[in-house]
Amino acid sequence: MSDSHSRHYLMIWIWLLALVLVSVAAASILPKAQALVLIFAVAIVKALLVARNFMHLKNERVIIYVIVLIPLTFVIILLFALFPDFVYRG
Amino acid sequence: MNADTATMSGATVPPGKTGTWWFLASEIPVFGGLIASYIVVRLGSAGWGEASGHLSFTLALINTFLLLTSSMTVVMAHAASEESNYRSVAKFLGLTILLGLGFLGVKAVEYTTEIAHGFTPASGIFWSFYYGMTGLHGLHVLAGIIVNVVLWIGALKGSLAQNRHRVELAGLYWHFVDIVWIFLFPLLYLA
Repeated sequence: MSDSHSRHYLMIWIWLLALVLVSVAAASILPKAQALVLIFAVAIVKALLVARNFMHLKNERVIIYVIVLIPLTFVIILLFALFPDFVYRG
Repeated sequence: MNADTATMSGATVPPGKTGTWWFLASEIPVFGGLIASYIVVRLGSAGWGEASGHLSFTLALINTFLLLTSSMTVVMAHAASEESNYRSVAKFLGLTILLGLGFLGVKAVEYTTEIAHGFTPASGIFWSFYYGMTGLHGLHVLAGIIVNVVLWIGALKGSLAQNRHRVELAGLYWHFVDIVWIFLFPLLYLA
Protein backbone atom coordinates (compact mmCIF):
# COMPACT_ATOMS: atom_id res chain seq x y z
CA MET A 1 0.00 0.00 0.00
CA SER A 2 1.42 3.35 -1.00
CA ASP A 3 2.16 5.95 1.65
CA SER A 4 -0.11 8.51 -0.03
CA HIS A 5 -3.08 6.14 0.35
CA SER A 6 -2.28 5.53 4.00
CA ARG A 7 -1.83 9.22 4.75
CA HIS A 8 -5.09 10.12 3.04
CA TYR A 9 -7.08 7.49 4.95
CA LEU A 10 -5.37 8.47 8.19
CA MET A 11 -6.29 12.12 7.64
CA ILE A 12 -9.94 11.24 7.01
CA TRP A 13 -9.94 9.15 10.22
CA ILE A 14 -8.51 12.10 12.20
CA TRP A 15 -11.21 14.38 10.73
CA LEU A 16 -13.90 11.88 11.71
CA LEU A 17 -12.64 11.71 15.31
CA ALA A 18 -12.36 15.51 15.47
CA LEU A 19 -15.96 15.81 14.27
CA VAL A 20 -17.09 13.40 17.01
CA LEU A 21 -15.51 15.77 19.53
CA VAL A 22 -17.30 18.72 17.89
CA SER A 23 -20.70 17.03 18.30
CA VAL A 24 -19.96 16.01 21.88
CA ALA A 25 -18.87 19.57 22.70
CA ALA A 26 -21.97 20.98 20.98
CA ALA A 27 -24.24 18.72 23.04
CA SER A 28 -22.72 19.91 26.31
CA ILE A 29 -22.16 23.63 25.54
CA LEU A 30 -24.80 24.91 23.12
CA PRO A 31 -28.52 25.45 23.79
CA LYS A 32 -30.59 22.37 22.83
CA ALA A 33 -31.98 23.62 19.48
CA GLN A 34 -28.65 24.91 18.18
CA ALA A 35 -26.84 21.80 19.43
CA LEU A 36 -29.26 19.53 17.54
CA VAL A 37 -28.74 21.39 14.26
CA LEU A 38 -24.95 21.25 14.63
CA ILE A 39 -24.91 17.60 15.78
CA PHE A 40 -26.91 16.40 12.77
CA ALA A 41 -24.99 18.63 10.35
CA VAL A 42 -21.79 17.07 11.70
CA ALA A 43 -23.28 13.55 11.32
CA ILE A 44 -24.07 14.27 7.65
CA VAL A 45 -20.52 15.58 7.07
CA LYS A 46 -19.06 12.45 8.72
CA ALA A 47 -21.26 10.18 6.57
CA LEU A 48 -20.16 12.05 3.43
CA LEU A 49 -16.49 11.78 4.45
CA VAL A 50 -16.83 8.00 4.83
CA ALA A 51 -18.87 7.58 1.62
CA ARG A 52 -16.69 9.78 -0.58
CA ASN A 53 -13.28 8.69 0.71
CA PHE A 54 -13.52 5.23 2.27
CA MET A 55 -16.24 3.99 -0.12
CA HIS A 56 -14.56 5.91 -2.96
CA LEU A 57 -17.81 7.51 -4.14
CA LYS A 58 -15.86 10.54 -5.30
CA ASN A 59 -14.28 8.37 -8.02
CA GLU A 60 -17.45 6.41 -8.73
CA ARG A 61 -19.69 6.43 -11.78
CA VAL A 62 -23.08 8.14 -12.00
CA ILE A 63 -24.97 4.82 -11.96
CA ILE A 64 -23.77 4.12 -8.40
CA TYR A 65 -25.04 7.54 -7.27
CA VAL A 66 -28.39 6.78 -8.91
CA ILE A 67 -28.62 3.42 -7.12
CA VAL A 68 -28.00 5.09 -3.74
CA LEU A 69 -29.97 8.29 -4.20
CA ILE A 70 -33.27 6.66 -5.23
CA PRO A 71 -33.91 4.86 -1.89
CA LEU A 72 -32.46 7.81 0.02
CA THR A 73 -34.98 10.12 -1.67
CA PHE A 74 -37.82 7.77 -0.71
CA VAL A 75 -36.70 7.75 2.93
CA ILE A 76 -36.64 11.58 2.99
CA ILE A 77 -40.13 11.66 1.39
CA LEU A 78 -41.30 9.17 4.04
CA LEU A 79 -39.91 11.36 6.82
CA PHE A 80 -41.70 14.47 5.57
CA ALA A 81 -44.87 12.53 4.77
CA LEU A 82 -45.02 11.46 8.43
CA PHE A 83 -44.41 14.98 9.77
CA PRO A 84 -48.05 16.20 9.61
CA ASP A 85 -48.99 13.31 11.89
CA PHE A 86 -47.32 14.87 14.92
CA VAL A 87 -47.57 18.49 13.82
CA TYR A 88 -51.38 18.33 13.73
CA ARG A 89 -52.03 15.73 16.39
CA GLY A 90 -49.07 16.54 18.66
CA MET B 1 -5.16 9.05 -5.52
CA ASN B 2 -5.39 7.07 -8.70
CA ALA B 3 -9.03 6.25 -9.43
CA ASP B 4 -8.09 2.87 -10.92
CA THR B 5 -6.44 1.56 -7.78
CA ALA B 6 -9.19 2.90 -5.60
CA THR B 7 -12.26 1.61 -7.39
CA MET B 8 -11.22 -1.27 -9.67
CA SER B 9 -12.40 0.94 -12.53
CA GLY B 10 -12.81 -0.58 -15.94
CA ALA B 11 -15.03 0.23 -18.88
CA THR B 12 -18.07 -0.50 -16.71
CA VAL B 13 -18.76 -0.97 -13.03
CA PRO B 14 -17.94 -4.62 -12.13
CA PRO B 15 -21.10 -6.70 -11.50
CA GLY B 16 -20.06 -7.58 -7.94
CA LYS B 17 -19.74 -3.93 -7.04
CA THR B 18 -23.06 -3.00 -8.68
CA GLY B 19 -24.70 -5.87 -6.79
CA THR B 20 -23.18 -4.74 -3.50
CA TRP B 21 -24.44 -1.19 -4.03
CA TRP B 22 -27.90 -2.53 -4.88
CA PHE B 23 -27.83 -4.49 -1.65
CA LEU B 24 -26.75 -1.39 0.28
CA ALA B 25 -29.51 0.58 -1.47
CA SER B 26 -32.02 -1.98 -0.17
CA GLU B 27 -30.63 -1.46 3.35
CA ILE B 28 -31.22 2.30 3.21
CA PRO B 29 -35.04 2.00 3.59
CA VAL B 30 -34.58 -0.59 6.36
CA PHE B 31 -32.55 1.71 8.61
CA GLY B 32 -33.98 4.89 7.07
CA GLY B 33 -37.54 3.76 7.84
CA LEU B 34 -36.62 3.00 11.44
CA ILE B 35 -34.79 6.31 11.86
CA ALA B 36 -37.60 8.31 10.24
CA SER B 37 -40.18 6.63 12.50
CA TYR B 38 -37.97 7.26 15.55
CA ILE B 39 -37.63 10.98 14.72
CA VAL B 40 -41.36 11.42 14.11
CA VAL B 41 -42.47 9.49 17.20
CA ARG B 42 -39.87 11.22 19.38
CA LEU B 43 -40.88 14.69 18.19
CA GLY B 44 -44.50 13.82 18.81
CA SER B 45 -44.18 12.64 22.41
CA ALA B 46 -42.66 13.95 25.61
CA GLY B 47 -40.31 12.36 28.11
CA TRP B 48 -37.85 10.77 25.73
CA GLY B 49 -34.88 12.87 26.81
CA GLU B 50 -35.24 11.44 30.30
CA ALA B 51 -35.22 7.86 28.98
CA SER B 52 -32.12 8.36 26.82
CA GLY B 53 -30.37 9.83 29.89
CA HIS B 54 -30.14 6.27 31.24
CA LEU B 55 -27.90 5.17 28.35
CA SER B 56 -24.13 5.04 28.81
CA PHE B 57 -22.73 7.91 26.78
CA THR B 58 -19.13 6.88 27.55
CA LEU B 59 -19.61 3.35 26.18
CA ALA B 60 -21.28 4.75 23.05
CA LEU B 61 -18.35 7.11 22.57
CA ILE B 62 -15.90 4.20 22.85
CA ASN B 63 -17.97 2.27 20.29
CA THR B 64 -17.97 5.27 17.94
CA PHE B 65 -14.18 5.34 18.16
CA LEU B 66 -13.94 1.57 17.51
CA LEU B 67 -16.23 1.64 14.47
CA LEU B 68 -14.73 4.75 12.86
CA THR B 69 -11.27 3.24 13.32
CA SER B 70 -12.42 -0.07 11.81
CA SER B 71 -13.59 1.80 8.72
CA MET B 72 -10.05 3.08 8.29
CA THR B 73 -8.49 -0.37 8.77
CA VAL B 74 -10.86 -2.03 6.28
CA VAL B 75 -10.09 0.57 3.61
CA MET B 76 -6.38 -0.01 4.31
CA ALA B 77 -7.05 -3.73 3.69
CA HIS B 78 -8.69 -2.81 0.38
CA ALA B 79 -5.73 -0.64 -0.65
CA ALA B 80 -3.35 -3.49 0.23
CA SER B 81 -5.43 -5.96 -1.81
CA GLU B 82 -5.13 -3.69 -4.85
CA GLU B 83 -1.38 -4.12 -4.54
CA SER B 84 -1.67 -7.89 -3.93
CA ASN B 85 0.00 -7.46 -0.56
CA TYR B 86 -1.90 -10.21 1.25
CA ARG B 87 0.16 -10.08 4.45
CA SER B 88 -0.98 -6.50 4.83
CA VAL B 89 -4.55 -7.46 3.86
CA ALA B 90 -4.56 -10.11 6.62
CA LYS B 91 -3.16 -7.60 9.13
CA PHE B 92 -5.76 -4.92 8.42
CA LEU B 93 -8.66 -7.37 8.14
CA GLY B 94 -7.55 -8.88 11.46
CA LEU B 95 -7.60 -5.42 13.05
CA THR B 96 -11.04 -4.73 11.56
CA ILE B 97 -12.36 -8.01 12.99
CA LEU B 98 -10.94 -7.20 16.45
CA LEU B 99 -12.45 -3.70 16.38
CA GLY B 100 -15.81 -5.15 15.31
CA LEU B 101 -15.69 -7.71 18.12
CA GLY B 102 -14.75 -4.90 20.50
CA PHE B 103 -17.83 -2.98 19.35
CA LEU B 104 -20.09 -5.98 20.00
CA GLY B 105 -18.41 -6.60 23.37
CA VAL B 106 -19.07 -3.02 24.49
CA LYS B 107 -22.64 -3.28 23.21
CA ALA B 108 -23.09 -6.49 25.22
CA VAL B 109 -21.89 -4.69 28.37
CA GLU B 110 -24.35 -1.86 27.62
CA TYR B 111 -27.29 -4.22 27.12
CA THR B 112 -26.42 -6.19 30.27
CA THR B 113 -26.24 -3.04 32.39
CA GLU B 114 -29.47 -1.63 30.98
CA ILE B 115 -31.40 -4.86 31.42
CA ALA B 116 -30.00 -5.20 34.98
CA HIS B 117 -31.47 -1.75 35.68
CA GLY B 118 -34.84 -2.93 34.41
CA PHE B 119 -34.73 -1.27 30.97
CA THR B 120 -35.91 -3.94 28.55
CA PRO B 121 -37.47 -3.56 25.07
CA ALA B 122 -40.85 -3.61 26.84
CA SER B 123 -39.99 -0.64 29.11
CA GLY B 124 -41.40 1.96 26.75
CA ILE B 125 -41.36 3.26 23.19
CA PHE B 126 -37.85 4.74 23.51
CA TRP B 127 -36.45 1.41 24.67
CA SER B 128 -38.27 -0.48 21.91
CA PHE B 129 -36.64 1.79 19.34
CA TYR B 130 -33.29 1.65 21.13
CA TYR B 131 -33.10 -2.15 21.23
CA GLY B 132 -34.64 -2.48 17.76
CA MET B 133 -32.24 -0.09 16.04
CA THR B 134 -29.04 -1.01 17.90
CA GLY B 135 -29.94 -4.72 17.79
CA LEU B 136 -30.45 -4.68 14.02
CA HIS B 137 -27.26 -2.65 13.64
CA GLY B 138 -25.39 -5.10 15.89
CA LEU B 139 -26.54 -8.01 13.72
CA HIS B 140 -25.14 -6.17 10.71
CA VAL B 141 -21.82 -5.73 12.51
CA LEU B 142 -21.82 -9.47 13.28
CA ALA B 143 -22.53 -10.31 9.62
CA GLY B 144 -19.67 -8.01 8.57
CA ILE B 145 -17.31 -9.71 11.01
CA ILE B 146 -18.21 -13.14 9.57
CA VAL B 147 -17.53 -11.95 6.01
CA ASN B 148 -14.25 -10.37 7.12
CA VAL B 149 -13.18 -13.57 8.91
CA VAL B 150 -13.77 -15.58 5.71
CA LEU B 151 -11.65 -13.09 3.73
CA TRP B 152 -9.01 -12.97 6.47
CA ILE B 153 -8.62 -16.77 6.33
CA GLY B 154 -8.34 -16.51 2.53
CA ALA B 155 -5.62 -13.86 2.89
CA LEU B 156 -3.68 -16.05 5.33
CA LYS B 157 -4.01 -19.19 3.17
CA GLY B 158 -3.23 -17.34 -0.06
CA SER B 159 -6.55 -18.24 -1.70
CA LEU B 160 -7.77 -14.63 -1.73
CA ALA B 161 -5.67 -13.77 -4.80
CA GLN B 162 -8.35 -15.07 -7.21
CA ASN B 163 -11.06 -13.03 -5.48
CA ARG B 164 -9.26 -10.01 -4.15
CA HIS B 165 -12.10 -7.67 -5.27
CA ARG B 166 -14.16 -9.19 -2.44
CA VAL B 167 -12.09 -7.15 0.03
CA GLU B 168 -13.48 -3.97 -1.54
CA LEU B 169 -17.05 -5.32 -1.55
CA ALA B 170 -16.84 -6.39 2.10
CA GLY B 171 -15.40 -2.97 2.85
CA LEU B 172 -18.33 -1.18 1.19
CA TYR B 173 -20.72 -3.10 3.43
CA TRP B 174 -18.60 -2.37 6.52
CA HIS B 175 -18.53 1.37 5.75
CA PHE B 176 -22.31 1.36 5.34
CA VAL B 177 -22.68 -0.19 8.80
CA ASP B 178 -20.33 2.52 10.09
CA ILE B 179 -22.48 5.25 8.48
CA VAL B 180 -25.60 3.83 10.14
CA TRP B 181 -23.83 4.13 13.51
CA ILE B 182 -22.78 7.71 12.67
CA PHE B 183 -26.52 8.54 12.72
CA LEU B 184 -27.59 6.21 15.54
CA PHE B 185 -25.03 7.68 17.94
CA PRO B 186 -26.41 11.27 17.95
CA LEU B 187 -30.04 10.12 17.61
CA LEU B 188 -29.90 7.89 20.68
CA TYR B 189 -27.14 9.34 22.85
CA LEU B 190 -26.79 13.05 22.05
CA ALA B 191 -30.23 14.33 21.03
